[in-house]
Amino acid sequence: MLEAFLTSAITMATPILLAALGELLVEESGVINIGIEGAMLAGAFVALAIAYFSGSIALGLAGAIAAGVAINAIFAMLVVNLAVNQVVTGTAVSILALGLTGVFYRKLFGVTGKAFMVAPIAKIPLGPLARIPLLGPVLFNHNGLVYFTFILVPALWYVIARTRYGLRLRACGERPEAADALGLGVIAIRWQALIVSGALTGLAGAFLTLAYANTFVENISAGRGFVALSVVIVGRWNPWGLAAASVLFGAAMALQFGLQALGTVVPYQLFLALPYALTLVVVAGFGGQAAAPSALGEPYRRQ
Amino acid sequence: MLSSIAKPFAALALAAALISIVLAALGASPVGVFAALGEGAFGSWYACVDTIVKSTPLVFTGLAVSLAFSGALWNIGADGQLTIGAIAAGAIGPHLGNFPHAIAIAIILAAGVLGGAVWGGVAGWLRARRDVNEVISTIMLNFVAVQALSWVVHGPLMEPSRAYPTSSPIARAAQLEFYFAPSRINLGMILAVVLAAACYLLLFRTGAGFELRAMGRNRRAATFFAVRIPALTFWVMALSGALAGLGGAVQISAISHRLYEKLSPGWGFEAIAVALVARLNPLGIIPAAILFGALDNGSQAMQRTQGISPELVQVIQGLVILIILAFDTPAWSGLRENIFGAPHDAAAVPPVAEMPDA
Amino acid sequence: MLRANAITKRFGRTLALDAVDFEALPGEIHALVGENGAGKTTLMNVMAGSLAADHGEAILDGRPLQPGSPRAALAAGIAAVHQSPMLFERMTWEENLALGGFDTGAGALDLDAIAARARSLAAKLGFEMPPAGATVENRSVAERVRLEVLRALSFNPRVLILDEPTSVLAPSELTAFLDLLRSLRGEGRIVVLITHKLAEAIAVADRITVLRRGRVVARTTPARTSEEKLAGLMIGEIVTQPVASATPSHSGDPVLQIENLTLDDHTGRRILDRLSFRAAAGEIVGIAGVDGNGQTELVEVLAGARRPSSGKITVLDGSSGGAMAVIPQNRDLDGLILDMRLWENLILARPLREQVTSHGWLNTSHAIDLCRELIDRFRIRAPGPETIAGALSGGNRQRLEVARAIASRPRVIVAHNICRGLDLAATAEVHRTILDFATGGGAAILISSDLDELLAICGRLLIISRGKIRETNPGERDPERLGLLMAGARD
Repeated sequence: MLEAFLTSAITMATPILLAALGELLVEESGVINIGIEGAMLAGAFVALAIAYFSGSIALGLAGAIAAGVAINAIFAMLVVNLAVNQVVTGTAVSILALGLTGVFYRKLFGVTGKAFMVAPIAKIPLGPLARIPLLGPVLFNHNGLVYFTFILVPALWYVIARTRYGLRLRACGERPEAADALGLGVIAIRWQALIVSGALTGLAGAFLTLAYANTFVENISAGRGFVALSVVIVGRWNPWGLAAASVLFGAAMALQFGLQALGTVVPYQLFLALPYALTLVVVAGFGGQAAAPSALGEPYRRQ
Repeated sequence: MLSSIAKPFAALALAAALISIVLAALGASPVGVFAALGEGAFGSWYACVDTIVKSTPLVFTGLAVSLAFSGALWNIGADGQLTIGAIAAGAIGPHLGNFPHAIAIAIILAAGVLGGAVWGGVAGWLRARRDVNEVISTIMLNFVAVQALSWVVHGPLMEPSRAYPTSSPIARAAQLEFYFAPSRINLGMILAVVLAAACYLLLFRTGAGFELRAMGRNRRAATFFAVRIPALTFWVMALSGALAGLGGAVQISAISHRLYEKLSPGWGFEAIAVALVARLNPLGIIPAAILFGALDNGSQAMQRTQGISPELVQVIQGLVILIILAFDTPAWSGLRENIFGAPHDAAAVPPVAEMPDA
Repeated sequence: MLRANAITKRFGRTLALDAVDFEALPGEIHALVGENGAGKTTLMNVMAGSLAADHGEAILDGRPLQPGSPRAALAAGIAAVHQSPMLFERMTWEENLALGGFDTGAGALDLDAIAARARSLAAKLGFEMPPAGATVENRSVAERVRLEVLRALSFNPRVLILDEPTSVLAPSELTAFLDLLRSLRGEGRIVVLITHKLAEAIAVADRITVLRRGRVVARTTPARTSEEKLAGLMIGEIVTQPVASATPSHSGDPVLQIENLTLDDHTGRRILDRLSFRAAAGEIVGIAGVDGNGQTELVEVLAGARRPSSGKITVLDGSSGGAMAVIPQNRDLDGLILDMRLWENLILARPLREQVTSHGWLNTSHAIDLCRELIDRFRIRAPGPETIAGALSGGNRQRLEVARAIASRPRVIVAHNICRGLDLAATAEVHRTILDFATGGGAAILISSDLDELLAICGRLLIISRGKIRETNPGERDPERLGLLMAGARD
């Protein structure tokens, strides 16, 4: 029981963490991307559509990456090159993606409501590790995307905190005019962060359709992208903090099903609302923007 | 003045062009789709009236969003605020049978105002006192509101026969009646227009509105002039929520008469497009709302005759917002009269001869 | 040799640089002088690559520089030290320097090695370094200038351009800094010193180029010129004596009382330390201090933008106007809303807003008339009250703020570096206005880092250092002695 719950928590946490790590890169460079929800949705849809019609999961994943990158590219053109308000642009991008995925979904799969299923991505149990009591199945019996996300946490920590590139990245988010005066190339770095983030977020969406639900429904992301934004805040812009926060929210989502199964008298809507309410509470308690990169969210234009 | 009308039109024209590309990709005929949209929206007297009916909630949410955005408060939660306002109205509505009509209407609308105000006020308080980014809080509150609605229609407010997930119908006394039946023109629309005028006056003719706009343009400078930012933030968010909540109550009172799931087809997000097309001017909200209401209305005909799902309207909304934002940057137009997030480093200001070095 | 050929640069309607020719040789210190706004910083930005000129080019050792690319300029060997140091506040100083030339670029990032290299260079220059791992945000302004100089030098540049580096140094640190410039010159580098301080230019430069309104008006050497001549060239007319320094006698009625004002920031660092002082009607009180000792925060507290941790501010409110009018240092960013019209900026001041508002309703036409009146009275050059504030020139924006402050009829005016960025004529005008205000019974508090300006006009002088205020003796007028106090020396 506990094992099922914890495993579920990790599964739920993965797409959130994946998207949040991508967003972390973007925010360290000084940009806040509300369009992350749209990129996730686009990745989810494209992954399913390609996997369904081609039969290849790999192609589906590739498509998801391309979709996420494309969505973020639209965002980047406006926000990085034209220095437009980031919040409104991001919201518009999310609306756009919601509409596009909806329209194309109906066109490709019809209105019949028949669920178009794909076979899920195979799980890869990690041999002896998977046999450790409790921890084994919970942590080491997942599909490749989950393991990838595990590895991404320390990798990203190292890149951001310890490498030259990470230093340049943070400089852009700290004070873009100074970074440009040093020839660091703020525009290029922000684009790079958005592209990588687009790939990661697309993959996160792919996880939803290829590994979790095995089909696509309208608005399948259900706000997970926005939750990822909160995860970055609650995790205080630190990859380890992000991991912890994601697991917390994943657990809240897993709780929905666990408690429903218990058949309590508490209405199921409470559990559906729980992750969002919890996000609110935690952000209220720990959500100070003091730990954010100094220039986060401020439009910047080279003179 | 002319340029401020020309821009939204140009943006819409470009959006139409881009939509045509999307439609072509879907194998549909752009001309056919636009014709269907137009026909569905304005093709008959009934269609026109229905367009107005569909525009009404957009006026309320559009006003809510434009008011908040004028203060640089990014209220993405108009949907949730509308929903909570509707819940309040739908909860009290069935019990107003014994009141005189005017009183019942006043009560049910007041309930909507209060519900929306609370929902908006929570986000406002969180921003004012806890420095919580209102984008996140309002989005989260949206999701919570959806679940709250689901709960009440399956639970405490569920209609007595327990056959359908809706609430009990509101009392006749509390229903806004239709004029020129069978058209659905009702008092709510008139209320919307009056409120648009009131919001305009508030924003441009009062001291409080001035402080709001100052806070929106340059928050830091506002603090140097005794503008009490935390209080203003809270009250603006509450007012914004109140407007959206009122829209929800009007919807219940005039049109749906009861609560059910998925009350709002995304009016809160659509309101952002409405607000931008209106350039955050409350008077401009009315034509902008009619435009998007027309799209909503026409989209059903479009689905019937052209086989394109109504989500296309969201594509249009998203594109319109993006295009307006792209058009509006100093990078393109050289004007500094852009609405949002004018980069506030000194370098953004065209330096002139005596450029201060500081 | 560094050469700029016929550099022309326009911003909007304004010509910032008009076919400027400039040349600097190795092993020389070349001073570029001019009033604030003459185009010196723009010229530096063109040569350092952060700005692309409309016409003309910069050439180093015969090779043209790629315009608009700081990276190309750095690669070519041109490094700049900006007026407000371009450092990353929340990063450590080691990380800041790592983004300069101390990083070899090979292998993994090694902050320790970078710090070691920085320290050895600093030792040679006689600089003190902050403690290991310290972030920049808590460092003093002088330390920041040193850090930026270090970073610039880490690129081993052929050319070092410094923009007003001494404006934030205490007089005692000045000598050491000028010696540093001389030693750089001795190494065969090209040193371009941008300054408006003529005494320094004459003291240390080999050649001097004078800019006025975007044009080169003179090229000379210290031997052939003098401060007065340079000043004349800078403003293009005979230098008149500064406005009467006859300090007005004051009636003695206390008008402003600050008691034990204390401010701690969110990390607990004490920024203002039990400040106490008072001002009487008719007084012009100067608060002198090197930038970064709490002045900005004091102004924020007085304006109400920031709440003090403790202490009391009392304005003894006799008149009908508002109590205190504040003119902040960052005039364009904090004092005005550039997107809004002139009359809207005018009613930002609460007393004026109240004047045109009744029961919450804003009387727009009244406000516009009021604005028109003030435009005339203060001779603000603007098309009209409906003009967008950002369209005004810097000097006229300043006039607007002064006009607004006076028009709100306060008992106290607080101004921070009010004359920074103004030419001599405008400065004289502002001083006249302040004197009139004081003569009329108000009290003026002038916070400034420009000791000369304060000595010219203030009756009483206070020194602010590290968040503490101290009075000076009434007769104390010796700039050197006062400079020492500003740097924090004890009596």
